[in-house]
Amino acid sequence: MDVVFTEFPWGVMLILLPLVGGMICLLWPRRGRTLGLVTVFAVALSVVGVAWQMLDTGIYRHAVGGWGAPLGIDLYADGLSLLMLAASALVGLGVSVYSAAYFGREDGTRFWPLWLFLLAALNALFLSGDIFNVYVTFELMGLAAVALVALAGGQNALGGAMRYLLAALLGSLAYLLGIALLYHGFGTVDIALLADRVDASPVAWAALGLMGAGLLLKTAVFPLHFWLPPAHASAPAPVSALLSALVVKASFYILLRLWLEVFEPLVGSDAVSTLLGLLGAMAVLWGSVQALRQSRLKLLIAYSTVAQIGYLFLAFPLAAAAGATAWYAALYLALSHALAKAAMFLAAGNLLHFGGHDRIAGLDRVVQRLPLTAAAFALAGVSIMGLPPSGGFIGKWLMLEAALGQERWDLVAVMIAGGLLAAAYIFKVLGYAFTQADVTHESRAVPVSMEWAALLLALGAVLLGFLAVPVLSLVGIGEPFGVSGVGP
Amino acid sequence: MSTSLLYALVGIGLFSLSLYGLIVHSHLLRKILALNIMGSGIFLVLVALAGRTGEAPPDAVPHAMVITGIVVAVSATALALTLMLKLAAETGRAELPDEGRE
Amino acid sequence: MEALTLLGWMFDGLLGLGLLWVAWRALTSPDLFRAIVLFIAFGLLMALAWVRLEAPDVALAEAAIGAGLTGALLLAAFAKLSSITASGDEKQADSARIYSHQLYWIAAVALLVAAGLGYVILSLPPYAAGLSVEVAANLQTSGVSHPVTAVLLNFRGYDTLLEMVVLLVALLGVWSLGGPAIGRGSAPGPVLDMMARVLVPLLIMVAAYLLWVGAHAPGGAFQAGAVLGAAGVLLLLADWRPRAGLMGWPLRLMLVAGPAAFVVMAALLYMVEGRLLAFPPAQAGMLILMLETAATVSIGVTLAALFLGGRPQSDKEHT
Repeated sequence: MDVVFTEFPWGVMLILLPLVGGMICLLWPRRGRTLGLVTVFAVALSVVGVAWQMLDTGIYRHAVGGWGAPLGIDLYADGLSLLMLAASALVGLGVSVYSAAYFGREDGTRFWPLWLFLLAALNALFLSGDIFNVYVTFELMGLAAVALVALAGGQNALGGAMRYLLAALLGSLAYLLGIALLYHGFGTVDIALLADRVDASPVAWAALGLMGAGLLLKTAVFPLHFWLPPAHASAPAPVSALLSALVVKASFYILLRLWLEVFEPLVGSDAVSTLLGLLGAMAVLWGSVQALRQSRLKLLIAYSTVAQIGYLFLAFPLAAAAGATAWYAALYLALSHALAKAAMFLAAGNLLHFGGHDRIAGLDRVVQRLPLTAAAFALAGVSIMGLPPSGGFIGKWLMLEAALGQERWDLVAVMIAGGLLAAAYIFKVLGYAFTQADVTHESRAVPVSMEWAALLLALGAVLLGFLAVPVLSLVGIGEPFGVSGVGP
Repeated sequence: MSTSLLYALVGIGLFSLSLYGLIVHSHLLRKILALNIMGSGIFLVLVALAGRTGEAPPDAVPHAMVITGIVVAVSATALALTLMLKLAAETGRAELPDEGRE
Repeated sequence: MEALTLLGWMFDGLLGLGLLWVAWRALTSPDLFRAIVLFIAFGLLMALAWVRLEAPDVALAEAAIGAGLTGALLLAAFAKLSSITASGDEKQADSARIYSHQLYWIAAVALLVAAGLGYVILSLPPYAAGLSVEVAANLQTSGVSHPVTAVLLNFRGYDTLLEMVVLLVALLGVWSLGGPAIGRGSAPGPVLDMMARVLVPLLIMVAAYLLWVGAHAPGGAFQAGAVLGAAGVLLLLADWRPRAGLMGWPLRLMLVAGPAAFVVMAALLYMVEGRLLAFPPAQAGMLILMLETAATVSIGVTLAALFLGGRPQSDKEHT
């Protein structure tokens, strides 16, 4: 029995299942909701299967077509990939349960196939060991995500979707030119082989610049973040959750992969990592300040995403000396953010559904009338602020530890400032949620499943605060950061 | 200078020209045109440099990548154009709306 | 490719300059319609460049998809846009500059990027085999004898699988945006009508030929699918619409056929051979032809549907 489990192609299922599910949803639209939920559940099970397998046999590598790199495409998964896959599965489950109640019949037939194909793209990206294959998955992801944003209709959503599409395409094209240079410079597009072959030549530097710029644009790092707030704020709530939690992390994951493996000979120099750290710091400060200034809840949450992404980039300057701790911190932050931000957007969706608007000042005694939703938002806020116990706390703690260890007081200051600002905008929302608004609005009942989906995701973010050791040991499978060893 | 280098440089030129065009124009159709030309420029770089094989036939892998890229480009263009039309129907103009004020 | 002869050098130089010049005109022409036409011309020049670079497969794909279908999409969008923004928005079509003095900065950055990348290109070695050696070595066991087809359908078939889904998702996105399909205009004039009647069967035959020949010569599923899509566009322009009964289930089946065939094949081959998309050398040729046939149908129908724009209504309850 155990042999069956470890022999079963869980990794391959992660890609094929959502593809098949999406196509069946297209053929039988009436069954979309059921099919979607079943598929996402099956995907989540497959992630467990992959984890089981990897605990047993280490790195997962699959040569598609039997050819193997450099001629063929390799699927590759280590602890880092596993973590991202798990995040996708968890957030995906929560969002799917939410969407089952959120979308009506008409919108539902459009949502489910697009979402399943988006999930397929995410999984295919996290499992890919080939940079051109990643380009194709980026395109699949981008088109599906844009179509999902546009589902909301109306000028804001359409404008946001258009900005998103243009930015995504520009980012992909820059990335593709980088692929062209790498292939013609080093003769392969396989990540593992490139890691061996790349040296510090002009070609590699140009490729780093192009791919870095493209991926920074896709990850919405300051100052290339302009497309994110309109897109994430005007999309339907479950779509916003998916975008902020998962899609934006996909390009970060690729940037990290390239940094760690392909461009390793180049990043010994401090210039690039200092630049990334600087951009991250500005993102934290700028994003947090802008979040504080918003009067609409979804825009506040979107700017919070911009800020939280900045934290991830603080790891780059720290990693040179602190090694794995800084990366573990970034990963833990990414994972916690995925759960917490998804919960926040879903909670905002509930509030929108309930009151018909998302003006912060108009949040009318939400704590009384939608206690589950208010709890979800509050718990998610705990993680975003970095208060214990939560995943966000662990991540920030590790990052602070790395910064203090290197006496990077500037980064410490940024993190503390960011934490304070985050507390400010979270409590701003909660403050209004406790009090009565000047004008009460007609309210609509919120389905229980929607409230519970938000709450469970938020609980997940908090729960991560207790699971640091097992999670980090999973991440260490295959030693993606070159150095093994769990954090504190 | 060989054929490969010549066309690769043309590809770089196209990339830069369309980068300029993408940023500078505000009409969405022009932005979409710029993105298409940019894609073509990158494809030129890919295929041109694949011809550095001397007497042998050119390297087939970049050719396959470019064919994939062309299909992806037409898919993205179709979606972008439809989005543009929908936006124009809402706002009356084929331009990105100013960021929504609160 | 060996160094250029004088005539070759002149031709390539002119073509290269021509490409840059036409692209520049397309990007900066004040008249939007002219810009689109210039873009189509640019596409055709690109096809010429592909031929010069010994890439006939890419030339076919560029001419059919890059210049042809993209051009058709742009023109159709332009026509619809003109009717939407018809209220004297002539200025719309003009190249509306956002910044004025910042133009120079942007131009400077673009120039810098070009210079840097140009330097990098020139620093590359003049001879590099890339993966051509590996491709040639494994061509026999791939099931086809044309290298590009082997790479697309066998060695890197996984990319092709995902790419087919990209096409499908684009169409789903277009459908979910709603909006009307291109209208049924007045009955087509006799020229268009005759052209459609003559050309469409011809195009279908050409598509079948391209599909068949792709195994050992330039051609294959994408080129065939593009030609099929062109036939579909011609039919749509000639105001032909398929019977409403075909627009529901059968249409979606045809759209899904290509990616579904890939996925099913991938899964089956995994079960048999232990690896995704691992074609056994003996049956590879036939299996690849099956995949390509499904792909051709899907690509053709998807491209035509993308041109149509709105989602066709079936006579049953539209879902």
